[in-house]
Amino acid sequence: MATISAPVGGAQLERPKLQISQYLRWSVDHKVIGVQYGVTALFFFIIGGILAMLIRAELLTPALDVVANGQEYNVLFTMHGTIMIFLWIIPMWAAFGNYFVPLMLGAKDMAFPWLNAFAFWLLPPSGILMLLAYFIGPPEAGWTAYPPLSTLFSGDGQTLWAVSLHLVGISSILGAINFIVTIKNMRPAGMGYFQMPLFVWAMLAQAITILLATPFLAGALTLLILDRISGTTFFNPAGGGDVLLWQNVFWFYSHPAVYIMILPGFGVVSEVISTHSRKPIFGYRAIALSSLAIAIVGFTVWAHHMFTSLTPELRIPFMITSMIIAVPTGIKIFSWLGTLWGGKIHFTGAMLFSLGMVSMFVIGGITGVMLASVPFDIHVHDTYFVVSHFHFVLFGGSVFLIYSAIYHWFPKITGRMLDERLARIHFVLTYLGFFFTFFPQNLLGMLGMPRRVAVYAPEFQGLNVLVSIASFVLGASLLILFYNMYISLRRGQIAGPNPWRALTLEWTTTSPPPAHNFIGDPVPFDDPYGYGTEAAKAYIDAIERRLGPSAPLSTDPRRHEAPVAVGD
Amino acid sequence: MNVRNPNSSGRSSSAIIWIVLAGLAIIAGGFLIATLTPSLLPAQASAQAVEVDELFRFLLTIGGAIFLLVQGVLAFSVVRFRARAGDTSDGPPIHGNTTLEFVWTAIPAVIVLVITIYSYQVWTTTRAPQPNETVAGVVGARFAWTFTYDVAPEDFPADVDIAQLPENVQATLAENGSIQLVSNQFHTYVGQDVRLEMVTEDVIHSFWVPSMRIKQDLLPGRVTEVRFTPIEPGVYRVVCAELCGSGHGDMAGQIVNGNLVGGWVIVHPDEETYRREFLEPETLSVLFPPEDPVELGRQILASGRYPCNTCHTLDDLGWVGTIGPSLNGIGARTQRLDASGHPDMETYLHESIRNPGAYLVPGFGNLMPQFNPEPTQPNYMPEADLEAVVAYLLSQTE
Ligand code: HEC
Ligand SMILES: [Cu+2]
Ligand SMILES: [Cu+2]
Repeated sequence: MATISAPVGGAQLERPKLQISQYLRWSVDHKVIGVQYGVTALFFFIIGGILAMLIRAELLTPALDVVANGQEYNVLFTMHGTIMIFLWIIPMWAAFGNYFVPLMLGAKDMAFPWLNAFAFWLLPPSGILMLLAYFIGPPEAGWTAYPPLSTLFSGDGQTLWAVSLHLVGISSILGAINFIVTIKNMRPAGMGYFQMPLFVWAMLAQAITILLATPFLAGALTLLILDRISGTTFFNPAGGGDVLLWQNVFWFYSHPAVYIMILPGFGVVSEVISTHSRKPIFGYRAIALSSLAIAIVGFTVWAHHMFTSLTPELRIPFMITSMIIAVPTGIKIFSWLGTLWGGKIHFTGAMLFSLGMVSMFVIGGITGVMLASVPFDIHVHDTYFVVSHFHFVLFGGSVFLIYSAIYHWFPKITGRMLDERLARIHFVLTYLGFFFTFFPQNLLGMLGMPRRVAVYAPEFQGLNVLVSIASFVLGASLLILFYNMYISLRRGQIAGPNPWRALTLEWTTTSPPPAHNFIGDPVPFDDPYGYGTEAAKAYIDAIERRLGPSAPLSTDPRRHEAPVAVGD
Repeated sequence: MNVRNPNSSGRSSSAIIWIVLAGLAIIAGGFLIATLTPSLLPAQASAQAVEVDELFRFLLTIGGAIFLLVQGVLAFSVVRFRARAGDTSDGPPIHGNTTLEFVWTAIPAVIVLVITIYSYQVWTTTRAPQPNETVAGVVGARFAWTFTYDVAPEDFPADVDIAQLPENVQATLAENGSIQLVSNQFHTYVGQDVRLEMVTEDVIHSFWVPSMRIKQDLLPGRVTEVRFTPIEPGVYRVVCAELCGSGHGDMAGQIVNGNLVGGWVIVHPDEETYRREFLEPETLSVLFPPEDPVELGRQILASGRYPCNTCHTLDDLGWVGTIGPSLNGIGARTQRLDASGHPDMETYLHESIRNPGAYLVPGFGNLMPQFNPEPTQPNYMPEADLEAVVAYLLSQTE
């Protein structure tokens, strides 16, 4: 039992204690569920990461060496892709959404706590089924599972793969309903839609996307399962079916799925850039509404994944819609730059990863516009150019922002700060490792290397070796984050309620928050990003007076008086 | 971005100069990126490639400029607006700027509009039908490419007298008297407008010739097509770009001991060379097939009509596949007889091809396609071909 030498009157007197057992049981507390989602997702991130390392080890040479045959290689990237998308990124945003949406709204919990727990508990069985699929004729048709490869030419694991994704799908639909209702009904007095934090806006846009898109995944998977086990021929031309039916329905879900994976991140970067540069977000409405615009237009572009299979006449309309998406995305990037301009940028771990994201994501955006251009796409479709593009979006975008969110919110969740020096090392290794893993892949694709091959023409070896080595650095950089979390949990600096001096409501309670989140009803500041005003300073100081001091804002610990833990 | 105090006119005019200079530097950088990068692309071997590369250069100029703009602003901000040690104050309370937001919505909108129009134009020119195009067939099967050409009688070598053809060949002539050539490599010549009609025997494959910048999926239940016009003599790799199973990576042109193996496009410098080196000798070998079944079987397998080469190793034909057992010495592999219950090697080999799933060689999965006797079935292999193939395989005893 220890206390911090805070002015008395604060609620944050007890040293945060970690109780692992509460996370292993059924709980309807959104904070527990959030952590459950997060830990599960991180577990699958490790598995997916190990698979990626095996893939890169195989690609060190043009011939087969690490795996015994092409089939084993196909299993590696099929599982890698499926796990990273459905069991890492999507659940990880559910983790942050669950933990922070109610807190940011000043609510006691989600609208439907029981449903929330139920949605989470669908994930572990789904993950187990996915891993079991490995043992019964593993899925090897890629995460896109195009028939007839996935129907007439695959083992039973493919069926299990589809069942597992069904469970993930149900889980995310239930989660989405919960977010929409929570955000609509549980905002505190005085918080209209346009006073909501942008992370909440992003979660709303994401939830709407999930709700509209995921049923199509369910439909496609159901047809796939029927074709596989009960002799229907939805995807088999010999029985009157059509292989493109799968592609259309699958991408009608899976293109929006990209936004399901990136929109919450756009919310995070808005929170982080504003807070850690001490300046209001530039163009709040534009950012909020562009999330919605992306979500809506995102439903009209799916067939750009089919530019080499779709009837040629239909390709042009999808080029047009895909190009349009670039505009709202550009608005966001420019708004973040506008926020930074003239601010006081603090190079915290959270800020570094958000800055890193802007810098990497823009490359994914540029290659995205190139890919939307049909004639150029024809050349690089299904090559490493595409692999590079979507990793710039999903790793340079989503995963960088998950890291950013971890550095930003870990103190709130655990009550302890992460080590900022380790954060900087983590960032530098990730940034460089990431760039050199994925940028050369653009060149490989243009030069003629298709994706999903274990053997390749010898002239591509040089770039592949570079990519593989960089990817090992990238993989290793994750260990630093885990180490940082571990030592922080054991002996990290006490965070206090509001270490970043932020204005959103999750910072107006203790870290971690008490069972029902707030003591009394929190009063939101009228502008969640109203930095730079006396009123904002007064609001933050009032929190400090009420709840006690917090760890310092700056990354340099010597400059500030930290709350000192005594008596342990 | 006039977030700092734009009061004094001197400051704002120097700001304008800076903005103009930065803008010029960014545009120049975009051009530089666009000029340097395409040298990394593979050979530009078709008329389509020229158009696509021009578009690519345009995309790169714009993309490069945007890249430099964003990274530049980012780098500048990080240096210029970093919080000095000990500074815990906030930045200025600026919430936006309508003009600026309008500009950065409008400019990208115009840019993508231009890109879309230009792309559409390239798209229509690169796939426009040509008046004298030659049509050839492409068959994709796990895991090999096969090209088929119909050769009309007027293209037969001058000294061929159709009446003199052996009877069994006469029987294979189409109604208009043409014959079909089959080959692993696609032969064409500079300036020939080609249209390929493509079908698949099994799963989806994607026909990609990087140097031609063309790609099109082969879809079960459909015939798809792709057009190109070669402009440079040479040999160009064909690659399968759509995951099609364990041998997907092998479904591409390879060079083994200096020989071209698997799918390649061979562009002859002119029509005459094309006729002399490919069309005439190949036509003759089909019109006057070897009498000896062993020789005939060898010719059939060597032509690449059937996709055996990606899966099997056979030194005599230069095959190096590893998905199935090696066929070196297959004619003497009598230990299979007991295991499979066939009376002699001839029946065993016949059945290994007609019904490969019935008996699996230990250590291998059921991956070999079944080659069927009826033209309506997938992987059609007429009985006559099969007999010759078996005769040839029987001759491979070491
Ligand atoms: C997709 C890959 C694939 C293709 C294409 C393929 N095979 Fe096979 N082949 C195999 C595999 C795998 C086996 C072993 C399993 C089995 O017995 O079916 C095999 C077995 C055989 C055997 C028996 C070998 C032994 O050791 O007993 C023969 C003979 C054979 N193939 C001939 C052919 C011929 C001729 C062709 C072309 C007409 C061909 N294969 C095409 C994969 C293939
Ligand atoms: Cu998409
Ligand atoms: Cu293929």
